Amino acid sequence: MKTRRDFLRSTLLGASATWTLPMFVERTFAQLHGDAKDLAVQPVTGKDGPILVVLQLAGGNDGLNTLVPFGDDAYHRARPKLAKSEKQILKLSDYAGLNASMPWLASQFHEGDLAIVQGVGYPNPNRSHFVSTSIWETADPANRSNTGWLGRYFDNACPGSDPTVGISFNKTQPESFGALKNPGICLSSPELYRWIHGDKTPSAEEFFAELNRPDKEDPPVEGSSIAMPAGGKTGGVHGESNLDFLERVALDAQISSAKILEIAAKHKTRIPYDGNPLARSLNLVARMIAGKLPTRVFYVSHGGFDTHNNQGNTHDRLLGQLDSALKSFMADLKEQGNADRVVVMTFSEFGRRVGENASGGTDHGQGSCLFTLGQPVKGGFYGKHPSLTDLADGDLRFTTDFRGIYATVLEDWLKTPSKPVLNGSFAKLGFIS
Amino acid sequence: MLPQASDSWTLGEAAHLLNRAGFGGSPQEIQKLHALGRIKAVDSLLNPTEPIGAIPVPLWATREQAIADMRERAEQRRMVQEATRTLSAEEAEKVRKETFQAIQRENRERGIEAQGWWFRAMLLTQAPLREKMTLFWHDHFATSLQKVRQPALLMLQNDLFRRHATGNFRQLTHAVLRDPAMMLYLDTQSSKRGKPNENFAREVMELFTLGEGHYTELDIREASRAFTGYQLNRSDATVRHNKRQWDEGDKTIFGKTGKFTGDDIIDLIFEKPEAAKLLAGKLWEYFAAEGPSPETIEALAATLRSAKYETAPVLREIFLSKAFYAEGVVRNQIKSPVQYFIQLLKQLELREAPQGYTRLALEQLGQSLFQPPNVAGWDWGKAWINTNTLLARYNLAGFITKGSQEAPASPPMAREDAMNPEAGMDSPDAAKAVAKAAKKKTPGDRMSNVTTVAARFWRGPDYEKIVPRALRKRPEEMVDAMIFRFLQTTLPAKHRDRFVALAKEKEGVVFTNHEVAELAHFMLSTPDYQLT
Repeated sequence: MKTRRDFLRSTLLGASATWTLPMFVERTFAQLHGDAKDLAVQPVTGKDGPILVVLQLAGGNDGLNTLVPFGDDAYHRARPKLAKSEKQILKLSDYAGLNASMPWLASQFHEGDLAIVQGVGYPNPNRSHFVSTSIWETADPANRSNTGWLGRYFDNACPGSDPTVGISFNKTQPESFGALKNPGICLSSPELYRWIHGDKTPSAEEFFAELNRPDKEDPPVEGSSIAMPAGGKTGGVHGESNLDFLERVALDAQISSAKILEIAAKHKTRIPYDGNPLARSLNLVARMIAGKLPTRVFYVSHGGFDTHNNQGNTHDRLLGQLDSALKSFMADLKEQGNADRVVVMTFSEFGRRVGENASGGTDHGQGSCLFTLGQPVKGGFYGKHPSLTDLADGDLRFTTDFRGIYATVLEDWLKTPSKPVLNGSFAKLGFIS
Repeated sequence: MLPQASDSWTLGEAAHLLNRAGFGGSPQEIQKLHALGRIKAVDSLLNPTEPIGAIPVPLWATREQAIADMRERAEQRRMVQEATRTLSAEEAEKVRKETFQAIQRENRERGIEAQGWWFRAMLLTQAPLREKMTLFWHDHFATSLQKVRQPALLMLQNDLFRRHATGNFRQLTHAVLRDPAMMLYLDTQSSKRGKPNENFAREVMELFTLGEGHYTELDIREASRAFTGYQLNRSDATVRHNKRQWDEGDKTIFGKTGKFTGDDIIDLIFEKPEAAKLLAGKLWEYFAAEGPSPETIEALAATLRSAKYETAPVLREIFLSKAFYAEGVVRNQIKSPVQYFIQLLKQLELREAPQGYTRLALEQLGQSLFQPPNVAGWDWGKAWINTNTLLARYNLAGFITKGSQEAPASPPMAREDAMNPEAGMDSPDAAKAVAKAAKKKTPGDRMSNVTTVAARFWRGPDYEKIVPRALRKRPEEMVDAMIFRFLQTTLPAKHRDRFVALAKEKEGVVFTNHEVAELAHFMLSTPDYQLT
């Protein structure tokens, strides 16, 4: 198995440099390790493996106005202002239909590429945005885990890996990426994801690269396993000194920056996208995939779902943006010939209450619905729609544990055992064909 | 008592104290502190001569004006209600919308102003430990604008923390129970007899005083009944305990039974030995190092208990302890974004940051003042650093050291500092130009536009003063002086030699300010510089 050191060495040798420098690479690495050139291929995170796009609907998406149970009188009773009538939805069954802002997703349901999981949640739900997001991201309802479920996947299934194994298009690292060894990278804008320096002479860049290279080539903890305790904070490795950690991140930033800038410059898309942040993020994801980054997981966010007041138009608009962005993204992948490599999974920290509130909105609730989308997906309904009358404290009772969805994605799509990642066994749902 | 260090100390140790007990300083400031000797230096930090209020808050954040504003809001709410009665539904909705939008807009602007004010206070204060402890309490008793939504209440809370900065933990906890911002943040305001809200009861035990494992769920349920009836009068910002809304029944907490009030509960909490342990450990982690040993925690906790929860004796013990100056502690703390930015400005002897830049830069680095992520405060240490934030730090350093060259990592916007006369580059031209740039095209372009425009107005540090021309003729000395300024240590020979080589390339020709800035940016674009 390749070690991280082998990987970094070969990556630097192979990098077409922007600010990782050929001179620096040649003189230091190549002389020391002349034989490393043969190792420039990543065995685990190959360039044609499956890709998961995690799409966060931040703020708590109102599942009942996303997948609308229009056939249920209790729905209309609970929401005199907000309920959608049969005419205002795209019917998927005699009981439920999609919010009419999502015509493309409805078409995907009919074509068999959209799976809708109903009644998703977890035991003893928490209504705090922070705590519940954390529970989803760590896959730990006790909210005690220092690592995220995707980070544990990186650690467990992608050894010696490239820092771009996971990319989050956010300013900060999502908790789900928290890892013992390799937390992936975050970037908000490729244009700014680089070291900006007035002096563009090779010697300046070489010097910078040298300053940001670890003195020790080996990370302190090689081959850590899932059972190891994390450093107590997301992103840290147990036993790793602060300076070692900083040097590791600096090197990851250098390597990934060079590649990402190059890809962003080279791969533009012909498919039109909207101008909102989600569409821009998905556009970047498509370009990164076109550029053959060995990334396994991309993470993007769509915010604004905390609809306590006058929810109607806001929520419809957000779902419309989601629909349109995903439509462009999938068309883009199809044109690239990568549509069969990508599965999109949405999630939100919780659903909202069944009854609307006095301000024409909905408050934090529990169970909600979730989408998985893509050619590899076996479309249809999964999980049982929760009862709208047998409620828990005014909320839907969940019928499907969210970790069952993770287990399905991990085992049937990313082809890795889910138990060590999820710290338990959860029934799979079968939505990957 | 932790083993104490002697009065004589090195310049590096003085720098370490100033970095940790404050936000660092210029070489002159470090030398000044060093000359006092260790004990006097610590005492000078604990007993600053600068009075609270030396850096005046915006008018709206003074208690008198805050109360006047609250009255006005109450009046506005009455008018909206009146409108609902007398006008058509449509017209009433219009009045309601306009009123609340105006209030929201004002609150948003004031929130930005509050963030800018505190940032400048930390930068300019002559009482750095007081500000550093104010930031500690803000993280400890975390309260966010996102929920409270009233910047004036956060500023009043900030003032409370500042007054108790190195004061009594027990008294401060009592005060926090009646702090309006906290009451709104943890729902004490809506906790009433028969319908107690457990939020404050839980956090006061779990996060503020005892820590997990030192209370039961039953303790929380019972305590929540005691914390009922505290009410904020929204028309004058006073808090009183309304006996009619208070659950006056017997409660059993930690095995004791009585008709307890919220204050009684806090007193019961502080009778437990764990109340001292949690804070002692957190203070050590904040100022010294992560993962203190049980012996260190117990030593500091004992001091805290015997001082009846006065924090000053504990801080003094920490700053005078041998362990505080030990290898593995010195230069091994990952700077928080606030620490990083303030320390950088102080090292460059700057008394201002580029217009509109600070708030967005701190947001990008992950520490927006008055907006901790949740009631547990920020995650510190390694959690500050990822590939994106590290590059953002490098680019922030580039912008501050060079200004006019290329776009930095963050998009400054016009508002923040433009409102404050203390702020730098506050010419109307600068504000207008930056605002105009902020409106352009797609966000990606906007970032670059705004930063480029902002950079035109940013003069950068005074390199003539920081690295005098005479010094530039002696490359080795210049490099060592700059290394001391930024890192207060020596670098591995390999790195130092490269800096010297870079400086020597220019030997014989004039080493310009531009070249000094380049050299500085190099030193700051390193993993080493993220540590203090």
